[in-house]
Amino acid sequence: MFASILASGLAAGAIYALVGVTYNTMFSTSRVMSFTAGQLAMLGGVFGSMFTLKLGMPVIVGFALTLIGCALIGIITEFVAVRPVLKSLDQHLYVLSTLALALMIQQVAAIKWGTEPQPFPRLIGLGSGVFDEKFWLPVVACAVTIIGLEYLYRRTLVGRAFLAIAEDNFAARALGLPERNLRVASYALAGVIGGVAGFSGGELLLAFFANGALLNFYGFVPVALGGLGNNRGAIIGGLALGLFQQAANFLVGGIFSSVAVFTLFIVVLLAAPQGLFGAATARRV
Amino acid sequence: MAISRRDVLLGSAGVLGTAAFSLPKPAIAQSEPIKIGFLAAMTGPSSAPTIGFNRGVIFATDAINAAGGVKGRKLEIVTRDTQGDPTKAVNATQELISQAKVHAIWGPLNSGEALATTPIMARAKIPNIHPCVVESLIDPAKFPNAFRMAPSNSQWDDAVRGYCLTILRVKKVAVIGDTTGYGVTAVGASVAAFKKDGADVVYQANIDATQPDMTPDLLRAKNAGAEAIVVWSVTTGMEARMFNTRAAMNWDVPFVGHPSLASGEIAGLVEKPANWEKVYAIGYKSVSYDSAGKLPAKTQDLVDRLAKAKVAMNDTLLWWIAGGIDAVELFAKGIETSGSTEGPGIIAYLNSLSKYPGYFGDYTFTPTQHNGYPTDEIVMSEARSAKNGTFALAPGYT
Repeated sequence: MFASILASGLAAGAIYALVGVTYNTMFSTSRVMSFTAGQLAMLGGVFGSMFTLKLGMPVIVGFALTLIGCALIGIITEFVAVRPVLKSLDQHLYVLSTLALALMIQQVAAIKWGTEPQPFPRLIGLGSGVFDEKFWLPVVACAVTIIGLEYLYRRTLVGRAFLAIAEDNFAARALGLPERNLRVASYALAGVIGGVAGFSGGELLLAFFANGALLNFYGFVPVALGGLGNNRGAIIGGLALGLFQQAANFLVGGIFSSVAVFTLFIVVLLAAPQGLFGAATARRV
Repeated sequence: MAISRRDVLLGSAGVLGTAAFSLPKPAIAQSEPIKIGFLAAMTGPSSAPTIGFNRGVIFATDAINAAGGVKGRKLEIVTRDTQGDPTKAVNATQELISQAKVHAIWGPLNSGEALATTPIMARAKIPNIHPCVVESLIDPAKFPNAFRMAPSNSQWDDAVRGYCLTILRVKKVAVIGDTTGYGVTAVGASVAAFKKDGADVVYQANIDATQPDMTPDLLRAKNAGAEAIVVWSVTTGMEARMFNTRAAMNWDVPFVGHPSLASGEIAGLVEKPANWEKVYAIGYKSVSYDSAGKLPAKTQDLVDRLAKAKVAMNDTLLWWIAGGIDAVELFAKGIETSGSTEGPGIIAYLNSLSKYPGYFGDYTFTPTQHNGYPTDEIVMSEARSAKNGTFALAPGYT
């Protein structure tokens, strides 16, 4: 039982963590919580299944096309749901615009792809039982993504420009950084991360249009727990959420595990409103 | 005698009035087509059954019209695509009744739509046959015009329970459903009925259909000593995950339950074909083949005729096609027997049926019982045995 909790808990947690990082990546350059994050992960599974199973492409080609497709959806999100409402961030119109786009993505997926879960191909064919690849692939994908992001942010000029925009948008612009282009790039990057989450978790979650709403919720929890914009917090929060959820499944049963998860979520937010790893921001008066 | 203008007017009115009352009805009224409305979710997520039913409707209508129609009048099916949406079904029902002026309505084909349209049809007293499972849709006092030609939910429940207790001879069962309204209601009813029959329900659960790992629930069911798992869900993803988990646990417990356990989509979702063995889904005697691969003679005859008419059967279920044929033939016989397209005559005919031999089943209706499908024709099928829309009988049937 313990091995099962660990295997599926870490796998689900890694997917939630990656969706959390997707939220953060979009937030960092726009200050917008885009509720398309879960849909990007859903599309990672749907595109992956479509390219590899339906169209019969090699896994590596299917993976590349999936990431390109998700990056495009990320860019469309920036143009359609984020850019028009940036001037009125204080009115929180982005909640409506990104949720509307998320619903549109979900409905189109349901109509074009179908409302029943579709199979996702076995990617490598390694492992069985609790060591099956469907459990460890999302964890590996999560680790590789974090290492890649750390490299991007710390070692590359573009990454540092991202950080500069995230740190102080106005100052970065004053220094001549192309803020709008960097924002578009960050949404494309978020699309890629969401695509990685969906593709690596495809064997576990299947290619199912309803995964979008589920991942929107469960991906948001680690962001709130870990602190908005804090990727390390999102990773730890995501993995903890997956483990707690799976343990709750074993101890209290499926229908009550969601209740347990959200009870814990509310308790943590009551105790630490800025998230477990977030810093309370001072308000200028 | 002087004839006044008033006399001329009165005389003319009298002549016209007499003519109107005494002249026979124009011949066109007796030769115009008989209109049967068809509320069909031809598109949208719940369109799969409709596509099968529609093939039967077209086949039966063509056959009746080719044989000269009903008392010389052609049948005309007036189809309205409801897209599975109750609102569209309501609009289509009102349009069929008041604009198209149909004589009877077949459908809708899912309970959500039928819950919305049944009261409307009852107010219009229009004869209605449907295959929807929700119990409350049939109430001869409230809806004397509505007849069910497929099993109700409780008949499914009876059949599943009967198979577990009398054929598999298990005493301890786990009952699992999804978290939809249907899943929760069906699990509750099933658990209560099993307990009433003296069975031990050792585990019951409603699982979120998107839950990626079914190990927790199956492990709990196994530890509780379940000898069979009864499933009430329409979610193929969840069902396939349970089959895969059972295999990973090296457990050979049988799954028994909802017809969706035999859905063709599961073939792509199970990790190995063997994972889909020992799964028994609700099926029907009339469309099940025996251990020698033979269908009942009447069904085989229908299959041959359908094949000759080039009706596709490999991508749908035969009972859907057979049900569509039966619905059209029941209306046609009702009009032929009552000699009228008036609603009361058709309803009186349907109320008089006792073991009417349809292709899908032998229907019996009385003025106080409008659930026409016999429970003893509901059987369990081998879930993975689909062949041209028919299934093999599950073990234990002779």
